[in-house]
Formats: sequence, structure tokens, C-alpha cells
Amino acid sequence: MKLERKDFLTMIGGAVVGTGVGTVISPGPWMGLQWLVEWTQDQYRPPKGEEKYLASICDRCPNKCTIQVRKIGNRAVKIETSNQGCAVGQLLLQVLYHPERVTTPLKRTGKKGKIDFAPVSWDEAIADISKKINDAINNNKQEQIVAINPAYPDATSMLTERIALFSGSPYVFQESGYWALSNACSEIAFKTDGAIDYDFENADCVVSFGARLFEGWGNPGRMHNVLSLWKKKGIKFIQIDSIATRTASLADQWVAIKPGSEPLFAMGVAHYLMKYGKRSGAANFGRFTELLINKYTPEKVSELTGVSLETIEYVAKALISAQRPIAVAGRGGKVNSSSVAEFSIIQTINNMIGSMGTSVKLASFTTPVQPVIPKKAKGLDEYIASDSVCDIAIINNANPVYSSVYGQRLSDKLKKASTVVLLTSLLNDTALYADYVFPTITSLEIPVAGDAAVTLTSDAKHAGDSLLGIAKSIAKISSQFPWKNYLETVQTVKHQTKNIANLDIPVDLIITKLEETEKMLSASGSYSIAMIPFEIPTVSDGSGLSLPYVLKGLPDTILKGDTSWVLMNPATASKEGISEGSKIDIESSRGELDTVRVHLTKRIAYDTIAIPIGFGHEEFTDYASEKGVNPKKIMSDAVDPASGYADWWLTRVKLS
Amino acid sequence: MAKMTRRWGMVIDLDKCTGCGACNIACSQENNLPIFKDDSDVPKRVTFLDLVEVTNDKDPKAQYPDVKVAYLPKMCQQCSGNDPNHPQPPCVSVCPVVATDVGEDGVVSQIWSRCIGCRYCQVACPYEARVFHWWKPRYEGTFKKSLNPDVSVASRGTMVKCTFCSHIWKRERDRAIANGVTDINAVTYTPACASACPTNAIIFGDLNDPSSPVYEAAVQKNPRAVRLVHSIDELRTKDPSEYEKRLKIKDYPNPKVYYLTSQQWLRDKISGFKNS
Amino acid sequence: MSKVINFLKDEWNSYSRNIQISLYVLFALVALFVIFGIQILFWGLGYTDMNNRFAMGLWIIGDLGFVALGGGAFFTGFLLYIFRVDKLQSLINSTVLIGFMCYLFTFILLVFDIGQPLRAWFGYAYPNWGPHTMPQSMLTEVVWCLTFYFIVLCIELFPIILSNKYLDRYPAIHYFAHYLHKLMWIFAAIGTFLSFFHQGSLGGGMWGVLYAKPYWFRHHYFYLAIVAAIAGGPCLMMLVPKIASWVAKKELVPKDAYMTLAKVAGVTFIAYFLFRIYDIYSLWTHFAPLFDRSFIDMMGGYYGWWVITLELLASLTAIVILNVKKFRENDQYFMAGLISGVFAIVMLKVDVLLHGFSIPNFSWEGFFTYNPTFQEWSIFLGSIACMILIYMWFTRYIPLFPEKHAEAH
Repeated sequence: MKLERKDFLTMIGGAVVGTGVGTVISPGPWMGLQWLVEWTQDQYRPPKGEEKYLASICDRCPNKCTIQVRKIGNRAVKIETSNQGCAVGQLLLQVLYHPERVTTPLKRTGKKGKIDFAPVSWDEAIADISKKINDAINNNKQEQIVAINPAYPDATSMLTERIALFSGSPYVFQESGYWALSNACSEIAFKTDGAIDYDFENADCVVSFGARLFEGWGNPGRMHNVLSLWKKKGIKFIQIDSIATRTASLADQWVAIKPGSEPLFAMGVAHYLMKYGKRSGAANFGRFTELLINKYTPEKVSELTGVSLETIEYVAKALISAQRPIAVAGRGGKVNSSSVAEFSIIQTINNMIGSMGTSVKLASFTTPVQPVIPKKAKGLDEYIASDSVCDIAIINNANPVYSSVYGQRLSDKLKKASTVVLLTSLLNDTALYADYVFPTITSLEIPVAGDAAVTLTSDAKHAGDSLLGIAKSIAKISSQFPWKNYLETVQTVKHQTKNIANLDIPVDLIITKLEETEKMLSASGSYSIAMIPFEIPTVSDGSGLSLPYVLKGLPDTILKGDTSWVLMNPATASKEGISEGSKIDIESSRGELDTVRVHLTKRIAYDTIAIPIGFGHEEFTDYASEKGVNPKKIMSDAVDPASGYADWWLTRVKLS
Repeated sequence: MAKMTRRWGMVIDLDKCTGCGACNIACSQENNLPIFKDDSDVPKRVTFLDLVEVTNDKDPKAQYPDVKVAYLPKMCQQCSGNDPNHPQPPCVSVCPVVATDVGEDGVVSQIWSRCIGCRYCQVACPYEARVFHWWKPRYEGTFKKSLNPDVSVASRGTMVKCTFCSHIWKRERDRAIANGVTDINAVTYTPACASACPTNAIIFGDLNDPSSPVYEAAVQKNPRAVRLVHSIDELRTKDPSEYEKRLKIKDYPNPKVYYLTSQQWLRDKISGFKNS
Repeated sequence: MSKVINFLKDEWNSYSRNIQISLYVLFALVALFVIFGIQILFWGLGYTDMNNRFAMGLWIIGDLGFVALGGGAFFTGFLLYIFRVDKLQSLINSTVLIGFMCYLFTFILLVFDIGQPLRAWFGYAYPNWGPHTMPQSMLTEVVWCLTFYFIVLCIELFPIILSNKYLDRYPAIHYFAHYLHKLMWIFAAIGTFLSFFHQGSLGGGMWGVLYAKPYWFRHHYFYLAIVAAIAGGPCLMMLVPKIASWVAKKELVPKDAYMTLAKVAGVTFIAYFLFRIYDIYSLWTHFAPLFDRSFIDMMGGYYGWWVITLELLASLTAIVILNVKKFRENDQYFMAGLISGVFAIVMLKVDVLLHGFSIPNFSWEGFFTYNPTFQEWSIFLGSIACMILIYMWFTRYIPLFPEKHAEAH
């Protein structure tokens, strides 16, 4: 057959048309569009891999919850807390994979007050630091060394303590918190060491004097179990507070008192206990009863605290009629602020109702023998406020520049210091003044039993290992650190529970504190408003704010954009001419806070503002920096002479 | 293939909820929720489980200190409508592209890659349970490492929602199949929020299973039980004839999440507007 | 090239100063439309004030308004081609163009409004047809019906474009346009059929079926939207040529045509008003209590009473003016009546959407607010500016008003 030119063209034309039609009616164009959709969206696909579950622990609080880590290949993708612990365990991956995690040791390259670091090798950094400490020891300047530990002490705290003490410095502190306060109380009232430990599990009546038990107080994992148990058993739980907090609303009864009047209320309760024949064998109990009878009669307490006589009596009777009652001290959630005097009054109550030794004990650590050096400052705030020169500071997993009401003063001190070592996983406010930053690891990366749940890929080390590294290279003290690594160190620290043998009521302390409290309660001059703190469990002391999934859970009446909100009763607001969302400045005798907005709610006592803590970091990753205000900057700075920590719970402020 | 008997549901005991936030974070982690430096624009925020702060402080009669606060973990309520043979949640029938459907186990699914982002389902949902990716979901740097491969990362401009973590059920079923168990009803599972709840306030299970703590027939008799904005429940015992009449007038969402509380004010707030 | 520039220069100079200023404003709006359109399409809806609680906003209100008012095209066509009300012949070209533009921009706004514009075709590829022949989702119905009706509008518009005097010179085009025009009653019938459906579904059904939402759920809402479109649509169809006449400073459409349509609109407005009163009554006494809500409480908030009051007042004004001969025949009153009619229907949409979305779902929430962002306003006003420009262009180059052209010939 002869193929004509015309036929050929027809065939080509037919093929073109056919292909065209075929393409248009085929799924091709749609697939192409679908591809275009995906391509323009640039969707990230998490890689797949072998699934494994590895055991680990969460070491963020004393509870040390066991957790399971779900792994896909070498990535950890989920923490299984199996109905225990708290939100912190769930947040471990956010810390582990935080894009701003410090991965290598850093050395300051610029002026202090800025994040200006360059990576440095471990050896070089440790050599420099140990040389400085050696020099200080040799030049008799040991007292210019200071060690600051986190609020909850662990084995690493013991290491910093040993470095300071064996070098000859008396300055070892922990950040303000329940443990610091509780230990201070034990030293004075029980003449021993240890944190007051309550037997919540077996209690049948609990009166909490401002301790927000289910908002990060104590060890949150245990407290959550306790709540389940209480709801099952139906025990009586009375909360004393000035805000309708979640704890107050979970309680059977909430006793609303004037902000900051908890110690006075405790005196009222003690008075009724005495009236109903409850006595204590404690030293000074006679003087204590005199105080109750002569000065803190129920009528006076009622007037000062704003609580009716019946309610005070009701609380006392509830304690009396219970088999295993507990009175709980320690105002606040994770962040605590109180005084030794307040702790002592409440422990006296425990003593009067016969709970001491049964429901109330002491929890402490046994540590290897350490030198005893007389303390020159009882607590961190007292140290900062003093004129002591600081040349070398070892700051272990803490952020005192942020957390102390004396943060500003501490930063001035650290600016002048030659060597400030900060052990942390994220650069925080204190890092602004650090000379060296040592990266720490999360508990997921610690080989607890066998392998670690997550293999370490960075140059970070456990804080304990870094501290051991420093200690071992200081000639004079290295022999005091015989442990190979941190895990060996942990073995030497044992938890123990102690009974409380005797109680010595520090009546003089109590008298002074109560007088001060009375003074604070009455509005002085233009500072007519009381300011008290509250806490968001996930933000906690502020450490949670750097984690984006925490930000995802915050209501916009706490943080909106970069502005914090404070809570205020509408009645107070109308008196002050403030409406919902108004911008105000808060001023105390110490200074003024940047603008905050006001959220009106009847959950707050009158003439009071409640301010969230944990916000207002100058530096704490891109997620937390410059968000909101840090109320510690203007909070009360009166240092409790017995504990050495400022009792900042109640601050008198004015609004403008 | 065995017939599906499972009907997943939840019972949340608010008397035990401290609002600690563990459920919210576990949910974000499990479902690859996006990460932003500023996530304070709450109305545009992407969360499947919203920990709502509920308080009676706005009531005209409320006065300090007679006010209370409670926390309410609010996820997709997995409505079933009131025709058991033809479950019809408010959101499913409105989707123009069949991106959302109700499974045989009663869970309302959402196929993110099918969604065109018209938000009609969000309009239909009375529980504000559906969220839209107003912005492109971001996962800064190393945060990408913690992403769960079982949940696909959604694109900007699509609707996403809680699915009772049904991918975990699939995971458990795959595991069972690997062990030779092929019965779809043999496997149970726990969503991320329920397994994270430290006070066991969130209980998950099969509403049809008499041995389960969430057995619906038993829960409905519990005087503490209340469903979110579903005040018709009250009529079931108070006025059965009116109840039947109302059911006929209109489909009710009939959610599969029950809240338990002994506090009357909270029951009033949850059940709707009638008493609050 | 220079020829084109010179032509454009001459064109520009032939406009009066006022028109030139208006054109500046319109072009500026179109520029904003383009700029922010790109931003929204490429970077998402985060730039709008819509959010998870206020899921739809200005653009959807615009869509509903456009469709309801553009629905005047189907109704006018219906009267002309099916009922043979020939007096409307002089309005029909303009009407078809307005209808076409309203629907076109409904589509355009919808593309901006959906989160995944590239997946818009899913509506055709994976429609949610239910177990029966009717679509399960009202939005599926809307998408398909709008598409078909839009095609009909394109066909109806086609002969009008072809009647341009340059194109009309070619005999083939002339006869094609002529016969297409003759067949127009078929399309008018199809269009009416389609339009009935989507007027009901987009304007009413979409909201009426939301059985979990107290302010929206009601069975009759579908029909109310149809009546609203029949009442309000013709008002826009008269208002636009009226404004065009005012701008052109000469009467473009004979008064007869206006009065005929006005009488019809007036009567339907009465029906609409009564229906709307019944609607509010049923909401008050039946549907709100079904949800254990009180109508009074639901009408609080930011957009409650004033919107509904304005809406009803505007309806009443339209009824009075369009039905009373004395007012209707007075030019100024007539204009006010038309504006009221259009405004009433727009306020109906504002009420259902703006207020509907602002109503809280939970007892612990307050009413929500919505302030469209600059981006939203730009795209919305830019759309309207485009429509005005197209209409202006058509009046100049296409015989939109055959009577006027006949006179000119």
C-alpha cells in the first residue's frame, strides 16, 4: 500500500488529537493538579522506621516517674506516661528536640548582658574554670566562690555543694522554693535537716494554708495520685487562699482570706484548737499560747483575715474530728513563698492535733561526709542582698537572675565576677551573665538501666558529669570526688524519711512575722492594692514557657502576644476605673512593671490583683523571651531572717 | 470479616481534673500539631483538645468568694446523631467533598489531603471542635524529629480535628494481626489524652461494652453525667414524652463524650444555656 | 504601538473629570485586589480576621449578597422569556451582565475563601452525593448548581457581546447571535430552574440544615432565601441602570420597563416581608427553644437588634415605595426604594452570617466580634470595583440598552 503524504498527515493529526483528548479525559491532568497541590504546600513527611518502646524516667521532680518512650527509628516521637506524673513528662520531647538546645560548651566572647558565645572544647573550658577555682583557693579567696542549685535538690546539688565546701566557701544555695523554706524551718523548729513530708495518702482531713496542692506543688505526680485517692475515699479537704484557684475549686471547702494573711489565719485555728483542749508538748508552747490568748484572739484574726469566726472554728473542728488530719504549709504551686515563722505556726498546729510523727515527717538525703563551714548567709536572697563579693559562680540547672526577687542585683554581681559557669540545656536569663555555659542532657538521654532511651548526638553532658569534670581537675579537692561518673554519684545519695523528734516553737520569730504581716495587710499610703502570684501548671516557675506546646495551651487572658494579663475583681476594677482589657502599669515601692492588661473575674479577692509568674524572661529562647512581665522585679524583697529568702507572696502596689 | 461492634466513647470526670494540661500536650505531640513562636492568637490556634477554663464568675448573682473554676478537656465529641442505623454528625453531611466521614466505630474521621478548606463543617460543629490551618503548619528545626509518622502533617488551609487518635487503634490492630488475631473487635486502645491523664479523669472505651467503665447505658443513669450543650438529656428522665417529641423534631448531635461532675453549677454551664 | 497609546489617550480625555476621578479610585481598588489577592493565595487565610469561631466572614456575606441580588437576572429573564413581559426587553441585557458578574465574582471570592484553591475542583471530582439522588451536602448542590447556572449566564451573555457593532458587521456572527437570541427562552427556563435551587441552598439551605446551630436551623429557610432573591434581585437590576442613567445624564431605559418590574418587586417584597416576620416568629417561639436558648438572649451582642431592625425598616421602605404609585413614579423616591430593597436583602445576609457567627456556642462564652482586615476589604471592594469597571466598559462598547442604541441608529 502506498502511503500518500495526505494520509500521513491525517495519521499524525489523528494521533495528536487522540493523545490530546486522551490526556484531557485521563486522570493525568488531575494527578498533575494533585501533584501541584502537594508541591505548592511543601508538606513535610516524617520518616518512617522501626517502632520501639524504651523505658526511661522523668527526672523533672522528686517523683521520678517511669515513662515509656515511643521511638521510630532513632527518633523519639512520644512519651507514654501511663496515667501518672504530670504534663512535664509529656513535655520532655519538646526539651529534647528544642531547636535552641545548647549542644556544645560555650564561652563568652562579648560583653555580659548579651547572648554572645562561641563554642569551646570541654577540656579547655574545664581547665580554665578549675584554674580559676584553684587560684581562688590558693589566694585565700575561697569565699568569693558561690554555688547555686535548683529549687529541688538532687545528686548534682550534692556535687556543687561539695565543690564549694571543700574549696572553703560557705556559699551554697538553692533557688527559693518549698525545699529551701521547709529545710530552714526544720533547722530552726526541729533542730535537724529535711523537708516536711506529709502522708497525704492516708490522711482523712487536709487543711492547706495556701499550698496550691494540685498546681505543681511538691511533687506533682504524687499529688495527682493523691487527688484520685481522695476523690475515691471522699476525704475532707479545705483550701485557704485568696483566689478561686483550681485547687480551691477542687476542695470541699474554700476559705477565702485576705491576701497574705495565712499565718494570721493559722493563729486563729490554733486558738480554737487550744480552746478545744488540744495541746502540744513543744518547747515554748506556753509562750505560744500566751500569744494566742493575748494577741491573736479569734475576733482579731477574723478581723485581720476577713474570715468569719464560724469558719475559723469550723476549720479547727474539722482538724479535731479527723483521725489523721494534716495542716499543710508552703504557699504557692511549684514556686513557693512563705516564711519560717508561718511554717512553724502550721507545724505547731500539726503538733497540737497529734499528726506530727504520724502524718508529718521529714524527708532528707544522706550524703557523703562534707566539711561543716558556718553559714554566712542563710539563703540565696540574703546572699545576693549582702555585700559579699562574687568572683566565681557555679549555677547548676537554675535561673536565679530570673527567679529571685533580687535578680537585678544578682546580675550586677555576676557582671563583676570573673567566672560564671551555668549548666543548662537552654540559654536563659542567667546565661546573659555567664562566662561559660555547659550543655546538660534530658533524662531521656541518661542510661538509667542499660541503654538510654535516646542516643545522644550532641556534645552535651549530664550536669553531674560536667560538675565531676570540674571538681576532678581542681587539685586541692579532686580527691573528694572518687566517683567515676554521675551514675556512681547517684548511688551515694540516699533518700530517707525521718521522724520529727521535738518541736521548738520559734515564738520570737513568729511575733515579728505576724507584726510584719499585720502591717502589710493594711494599705499604706498610695499602695492600696495587694498583689499576689498565681501559676499555670505547664508554665510552672517559668521553665515551661520555652516549650511551644505549652504556649499552645495558654489562655489569651494570661498571655496575648507579648503582653501578660493580670486578674482583678470587677468591683475593684470599677473603683479604680479599669475595664476588661485595660492596660495598666503596676508600681510597688521597688519599681514599676511594664504594661500589663487586666482580665476581670470575680475569682479574685477585692482590692487585689493576681499576677501570673513564669513570664517576662529577658532571655529564654525565641519562644519565651520578652513575653509578658516578671513580677519578681517589683515583689516584696523583705528577707525572712530565718530562711534567708525573701517572702514575696504579698506585695503592696498601686496602679496607673 | 466480623461485624464491627465497637463504638468508642469517653467519660471525663471533671471532679478529678486539675487542669494540669497533660492531655493537651500529649494530644499536640501525638497529632503533630504545628509549632509557632507566638501561639497566643487563641481563635486561630490549632489544638485538637482544648483545655477550657469554665467559671461561674460571669453570672450576675455570683460574688467573690462564691465562685468556682473548673477545667474541661474539650475534644471532638464524635457526635452520632439520633438515628442509630444512620449516624449523622452535624459536620459530616455538610462536607462538599467527602473529606470527613463517620466510621463504623462511630469516630468522625477527617482526611486532610481531601479537604478543600471551605470550613462549612466548622460552621456546622456546635462544639468548636474543628480547627483550621490558617497559617502553614511549622515545625522549627529539630522539632521535626519528634513528629509522629502515623499522623500526616496537614497543609495550610485544611480543616483538622481530633479523631480519638484512631491511628493508635490502627497501630494496635496491625500489631494484633501480626500476632494472628484478625478480629477487628478483639483490640482496644487508648487515645493519647486518656493515657496521659495523671488522675485518670479521662476514661476511654467502648460505649457498647457492658464490662467497660464507659458503658453508655450505665453512664446515662449516672446522676453526675452530663453532655456538652445537650440539655435535652435532662428530659429523658424528667419528661420522656417531651423527650421523644423533641428527638423527632430534629437530629440531636448526640455526642459520645460524657462529662461527670457532682457540681451543679458546672452541670448547668456544660449542659447549655437553660440554667446558666 | 503609538496608535494604541494615542487611542487610549483619546479615550481617557473623552471622559469627564468626575468619571476620571472615579476611575482612579476604581483602578486603585483593583490594584489592591491584585496585591492582596496574591498575598492571600500564596500565604494563606491567616491574614483575615476569620478564625475557628468566626469561620466565614466578609467574603461569604459578599457571596450571598451577590448571588441573591444577581438572582434578579433569573427572575427578570423568567418574566421576559416565559411570561412574555416584553416591556422588560430593554432591561434584559444589563440584567444578564449584572447576573453574570455577580456569579463570576461569587466564584472568585469563593476561591479566595477556601483554604485550598488548587483543590477547588474536588467539588466536582468528589462530590458529596448522598444515598439518594439529592446531594448530601448543600455546598455540593451550591457548587454544581452555581456552575451550571453560570454556564447558562455565559450563553445568555454571548449574543449580547456579539452584538457589538464591530462584530455585528460579520453576517455569520450576526445570524449566530440572532438565532442564539431566539433560543434564549430555553436557557431562561433552565436558568430559572437552576437558580431556584441554588438561591435556596446557598442563601438559606446551607444555614437551615445546620441542625446543631440554634440561630440557623429552620426548615423553611431555604424558601425564604428564594423569596428574598426574587424580591431583592430585581431592585438591583433596576438600580444599576438607574445609576448608569444618572451618570450618563440621560435615560437609558424607558420608564415603563422600570415600573413593570417595580410592581412585581413590590408585591414580592410584601410576600418576603411576611415570610420574614413568620421566620423571626418561628425562631422566637419554636427553634430557639428547641435548643433551650432564648431568642432575646441570642439577639444580644454586637450585631443583633440593630441589624435586624435596619433590615426590617429597609424592607418596609421598599414595600411602601414600590407599591404606592405616587412614590414609585417619583424619581427620587423610586431610587430610595430601590436602594432600600437592595439594602434589606444585604442586611438579611449580614444578619444570618455576621450575627449568626457571633452567637456563642457555650454558656461560658460571650458574643464574638469580627473586624475584616484590610486584606479582606481590599479583595471585597476590589471585586465590586472590577464589576463596576466591566459594567462601564460594556455600556460604552456593547449595546446594553437596545432602546438607546435604536434611537442612535
